[in-house]
Amino acid sequence: MSGSEAPRWRAVPRLAEVATTRARLVSVPRVRRRAARVPFVILVTAVLLGGIVGLLLFNTSMQQAAFTGAELESRAEVLSARQQTLVREIEQLRDPQRLAEAATAQGMVPAPQPALVDLRTGEIVLPGEVATTDDGLAIEPKAPVKPAELSPAPIYVDPPAASPETPAAGEAPAVPETPAAEVPTN
Amino acid sequence: MGLVLIAMVMSLFAARLVQLQGIDPEEYAAMAAARGTREVVLPAARGDIVDRTGEPLAVSVEGLMVIADPSQTRDDAPEIARILATGLDADYFTTLQKLQQDGSRYEYVARRVPSTTALAVVEEVKEAGFAGVYTEGDPVRDYPAGDVAANVLGWMGTDEPLSGFELTFDDQLAGTDGSARYQVGGGNIIPLGDSSTVEPVNGEDLQLTIDRDVQWYTQRVLAQTVEESGGESGTAIVMDTLTGELIALADYPTYDANSPLLSPDADRGSRALNDVYEPGSVQKALTAAALIDAGEVTPETRIEVPPYLESGDSRIGDYWEHGDLRLTLAGVLAKSSNIGTVLAANRFTDDELHDYLADFGLGQTTNLGVRGEARGILPAADAWTQMEHDRIAFGQSMSVTAVQMISAINAIANDGVLISPSIVQGTATAADGTQVGTDTATSHRVVSEQAARDTAEMMERVVDPEVGVAPGAQIPGYRVAGKTGTAQRAVDGGYDGTTVSFAGFAPADDPRFTVYVVVQDPSSGGGGTVAAPAFAQIMSHVLRKYAVAPTGAAPSTLPVEW
Repeated sequence: MSGSEAPRWRAVPRLAEVATTRARLVSVPRVRRRAARVPFVILVTAVLLGGIVGLLLFNTSMQQAAFTGAELESRAEVLSARQQTLVREIEQLRDPQRLAEAATAQGMVPAPQPALVDLRTGEIVLPGEVATTDDGLAIEPKAPVKPAELSPAPIYVDPPAASPETPAAGEAPAVPETPAAEVPTN
Repeated sequence: MGLVLIAMVMSLFAARLVQLQGIDPEEYAAMAAARGTREVVLPAARGDIVDRTGEPLAVSVEGLMVIADPSQTRDDAPEIARILATGLDADYFTTLQKLQQDGSRYEYVARRVPSTTALAVVEEVKEAGFAGVYTEGDPVRDYPAGDVAANVLGWMGTDEPLSGFELTFDDQLAGTDGSARYQVGGGNIIPLGDSSTVEPVNGEDLQLTIDRDVQWYTQRVLAQTVEESGGESGTAIVMDTLTGELIALADYPTYDANSPLLSPDADRGSRALNDVYEPGSVQKALTAAALIDAGEVTPETRIEVPPYLESGDSRIGDYWEHGDLRLTLAGVLAKSSNIGTVLAANRFTDDELHDYLADFGLGQTTNLGVRGEARGILPAADAWTQMEHDRIAFGQSMSVTAVQMISAINAIANDGVLISPSIVQGTATAADGTQVGTDTATSHRVVSEQAARDTAEMMERVVDPEVGVAPGAQIPGYRVAGKTGTAQRAVDGGYDGTTVSFAGFAPADDPRFTVYVVVQDPSSGGGGTVAAPAFAQIMSHVLRKYAVAPTGAAPSTLPVEW
């Protein structure tokens, strides 16, 4: 209780002091000093204009960047596609089958018995043997026997009565094993 | 009056505003957003399947499909078809027909075309002044080596894996597609517009223990062997003796993984793991190793071989006519005598023989990771008759897969320790959740080191030109151990034709590789004449490729007769 009363009592002389100080202030006539309007307007306009132009430039450059980005992206896509195609080409060239075919075309055959040399002693451990054409390997995979749906029997058409000769047998596609069902069409 | 008019117009506006903002604002907002928003799937790149040295066996490449709108192409079809047929290596008439298709606005001209080819062709069409041909994304799964290892790789459908490792390890290979959403204006992405991207997670590569070059060579040798012998099908396997890794796993007939549908279904699985057959005499090597391990016989144990032998209610003979022979156990193997093997195996009870064979891995899957792997049949010992005991000793009345058999023979090569075979490098999780691969390979001892070495020495006599049945398996300069097999072939409950095979390893005194060749139903010949030469070709190729030097030791001279 006493704690709250004491400050109020003490505050009184201080209030009086403030009042005295105020009383000493002398009012001066109001002088309306007009700030120059023009520079301010110019400043504001400049800031505005600058902002707008800046924004415009910024936007334009963003757009430009977006275009460039899109363009570069599509170029990157084309290039990566090209790279992939090239990689694929290399892989096709390195395909053991292709290499074997190329080697066979040059008349090469697998070596039946290459000579073995011990590099530590320089000694021929095993004498080599000359390869002959008999050592050749059938590298061409046989054409797959297609499922029945994919290899329908060929349709034989009787030649017109006017020409008595039948077409050469070699012209009809060869059908392995399965006898061709003849489908008369006329 | 004017004021009233304005008020009326304003209330119309107000009503519309209420409708737009009050009743269904969400939908309109969504429509507005959708107009300028584009959402694309960012496809995850599918992992490659590579061989043990990183050579590609199956790879994914970005590709394109070429599509035509016949309503635009119909009038100029011949010209456009000429450009497309030339550029895409397609059939002119088929292309022409597609370009003229009535009532269609969407025709595939070509699918899975490499991007550069497709873009170049479409550009060419445009330059010639025609419209209506365009491209769309179409990822390509390419198998650069065609039919090499196709039987285990499997193949891809239009979008999903359909068989083989492509299907089994799809979780690892496929990855997860991502997506991107962005706002577009005039075909370009609006900078600072709403956008969000979920990056795709690319699939992981799968590395196999297969060696692409050896696999190719093995397939070609096998193809030639099967064709020349008039056989129905065949399998050839190369295994690293020390690790159980499969260097090659060839099946014939096979198929081109790039166009799987051109081959019949039967040729697209892995016969080496899915088909079972009676192994025949190759089994004698296992029986002999078990007998030596049990201390029942030695390579020089003398066996008197009669012309034939009564077994249960049937009679066992040898493949050649003979009188009474006096063969050692080594001679029994070298000459592949059924009677001699049965007489030796009679020192075993049913249980003993069965347990040894089960220990060699027969009758159990190898858990290689290939779908539909067969278990083979090793009948339970308590159901054996005397006849079954006798016949199982030389590899009939029971069945195996080729991979089981090579693992068992490999145990003899590997000083008596059986290693579970593997074809995946490291570890991979199969579709059924099992872990497979070289990291999960297990090994256990089946026979003692001495028993394995003794058996290997006996198997060397098989390829001896003077005493053995398979001199064709010899490789100049190297010691080779092997065993032929010429078995009756079980077909629809009866026996018809033969299964001929040869399993062996080299160098015999320090084995590095084990090779097994099986030919089903050849028109003539046996294991020694059909499979053994193929074995020699394949084995000498791997020995050379992996620079295995001859050991230089003198070959086994175990006596075969007494």
